[in-house]
Amino acid sequence: MSTVTLSELLGLPVYDATGQASGRVREVGLAPQEDRARIAVFIVKTKSGDRVLPLAAVSKINGGVRAATAADTWSTSAGAEGYLLLARDLLDQQVIDVHGRKVVRVNDIDMHRDAHHDRPVLKVGSVDVGARGAVRRLLKGVVPMAALRPVLQHIPPRLIPWDFVDLIETDPARRVKLKISHDRLATLHPADIADIIEELAPDEREAVFETLDEGVAAEALEEVDPKVQKAIIESLDSDRVADIVEEMQPDAAADLLAELPEEHTEKILEEMEPEERDEVSELLEFKENSAAGRMTTEFISLPVTANSHDAIEALRHFEGGVETVSTIYLVDSQGTLVGAVPLAKLVLAPRATALLSLTQEPLIAAHVGANDKEVAELFDKYNLLTLPVIDDQSRLSGVITSDDVISMLRDRI
Amino acid sequence: MKFLKRWKTRLLVFLAVVGPGFITANVDNDAGGIWTYSSAGAQFGHMLLWTMIPITVALVVVQEMTARMGAVTGKGLSDLIREEFGLRVTFFMMIGILITNFGNVVAEFAGIAGSLELFGVRRYYSVPICALIVWLIIVKGQYKSVEKVFLAASFFYITYIVAGVLAKPAWIEALTATVTLPPKSTWVENGYVYMVIGVVGTTIAPWMQFYLQASIVEKGVSKRQLRASRIDVIAGCFFTDLVAWFIIVACAATLYAHGYHNVADAKDAAQALRPLAGQYAYILFALGLFNASLFAASILPLSTAYTVCEGLGFESGIGKKFSEAPVFYWLYTILIVAGAGVILTPGLPLVKITILSQVINGVVLPFVLIFMLLLANKRDLMGEFVNSRVFNVIAWATTIAMIGLTIAWFWSLRAGS
Repeated sequence: MSTVTLSELLGLPVYDATGQASGRVREVGLAPQEDRARIAVFIVKTKSGDRVLPLAAVSKINGGVRAATAADTWSTSAGAEGYLLLARDLLDQQVIDVHGRKVVRVNDIDMHRDAHHDRPVLKVGSVDVGARGAVRRLLKGVVPMAALRPVLQHIPPRLIPWDFVDLIETDPARRVKLKISHDRLATLHPADIADIIEELAPDEREAVFETLDEGVAAEALEEVDPKVQKAIIESLDSDRVADIVEEMQPDAAADLLAELPEEHTEKILEEMEPEERDEVSELLEFKENSAAGRMTTEFISLPVTANSHDAIEALRHFEGGVETVSTIYLVDSQGTLVGAVPLAKLVLAPRATALLSLTQEPLIAAHVGANDKEVAELFDKYNLLTLPVIDDQSRLSGVITSDDVISMLRDRI
Repeated sequence: MKFLKRWKTRLLVFLAVVGPGFITANVDNDAGGIWTYSSAGAQFGHMLLWTMIPITVALVVVQEMTARMGAVTGKGLSDLIREEFGLRVTFFMMIGILITNFGNVVAEFAGIAGSLELFGVRRYYSVPICALIVWLIIVKGQYKSVEKVFLAASFFYITYIVAGVLAKPAWIEALTATVTLPPKSTWVENGYVYMVIGVVGTTIAPWMQFYLQASIVEKGVSKRQLRASRIDVIAGCFFTDLVAWFIIVACAATLYAHGYHNVADAKDAAQALRPLAGQYAYILFALGLFNASLFAASILPLSTAYTVCEGLGFESGIGKKFSEAPVFYWLYTILIVAGAGVILTPGLPLVKITILSQVINGVVLPFVLIFMLLLANKRDLMGEFVNSRVFNVIAWATTIAMIGLTIAWFWSLRAGS
């Protein structure tokens, strides 16, 4: 098995079955519906226009492409829509390196050459984003390939395996046709997805957000820079936005919607499920830089009579983010905050211990109107992971988590 | 009330996008600009004033194209050239830009050397220290806070307008010279074509297009904000050229009128501000030139490193560590060190070197314009925002004129030798 690169293939002379030179290789195409890696066709530039030569009809690739069929049987390129064309769609374009977690630009494409029943088979192996591909392309046609190859061997390659390459296609119709999804991107940590998103152009961000699963999109969006966040939201349809916002932490969702023009926010809220809408719109009422504006309404609170077994059950059924469950709150029948049980104490306690005996002393809480500075001071002084927020009647209204405080402080550094 | 609210929204929209155009305009009047305009006025009096109107029209058209491409595609100019024209074209373009911008960096350090020599600081001290300051400002991530100081200090340019007025120039003559072509005999005068290329090159510099588009993208200007962004960019263009006009007029009324046709150093150029500041003119001039040079010196190497790395696919960004983006940081560092190093060559004629760098700008400009024009006319890229016919005509005319001038200049070199 040997390697052949896209830049070596492009421009190769093509001979038909009679041995007559019919044209040159203009494009190399994949049919992603059939196989994500195997080359399906060459597009050949002939005197009578572009023709599609299926690779199955190629008998030899060796300094030239020899076809087993006559040139006049090759179909015109009108039907080339369904192919991913490597030179046009990939070469010099940006792709996402899912393994390296960044956006890179393609210099060349390496293909593995194999044989099946004496016919050549080409499979995309990796994209070259390093100097080797760049030098090869710069010197192609200037220095003979045979002389160039040994020199290139000395340049360390920077290759990304094809399985780790995520394509960005801004045209939705082509995305469907070419089966371009972001399944691999979606496996990354939301913060890494966010970093990648920030590096893309607006249309590309939109394209990625339209294909990502709502849950992943929501988590990634929470991590994106607020300015970019706003731009993404404004570019998407409001029902799609509503789907994503529903999946977000209510406090993050409220922060995001607060940045948008009022009419736009209203429209998104209308599209949301009633339950999530109520939570978010409640938070929207608060001033952004007060404790209430920072808090989330997704947390675990249990009656004062509950025991550790109840708490574990509540944890099992909790659907919100994991950052809020590091403390479980106890409230009385009026909803007044009575105690806070750290997760660690709960884990170490014997089964069916009354939660009231596990509470952390003293009970620290912030008033809904407390400002950022007061909130940060409480976190610092008492080494908190979460801080309960109470209203005028000392009722538990929400919880501020330490990650929100870190973001808030980072904005000021 | 409703009117007031609408007006307020508009103002907010405008403020959200203002900046890139205005900053670019101010950096445009850098050391290269000040020296070139000063020399133009001193050497040829009003003979170059006619270029100001066509240059302004071309500048507005070119900068608007740049801003539009940035807002519509959300990508930098070198990214677009790479994606649409491939690696080889990009590579040669980047080499060209690197050489041209290096010339501009040298010019900025020449400005630093010249301005501080007016205070008796020798360039062997001032240039290395300022190079280090510039390097640190960026690497330590302090640029955003320093930018405001630079911008505020840019109001120095207004002194040229005041000086121009106080010098009691021949208004009628200056205005007439602005709207009429000079006699044919001027064109064959020694160095005239060279100076025209320099004046165009310093005003519509290639680096500005890359820098402006990158700033628009970074600011996140969207298609819908394009109208406000246009105002920012176009106002910047007019400001640049207004200052240029007054520098030429001030130098014509002071230097040219008294027979000082050759601006050899900062001391000569400072005389243009004499009507305003008398014997203290040199202080005013030195501070202004120093600010302009330092401002541009902190932008140019950085912008160049970004442009080249993005076009060729190297990691870039001041948010990254040295080990993550080595090419980016090395390019940036070498541009500063080598740019400052050139100025330390003993006996180097600062003004001549500076004007040469601006002429190179003018020679490279048409190549950049050709690619910009091809890009701005691509419908699959720009959609409904493709160039209008008027824009194409003006931009192509500029391109052809610059190629013509370059050929004429080379011809005169051959004829001269």
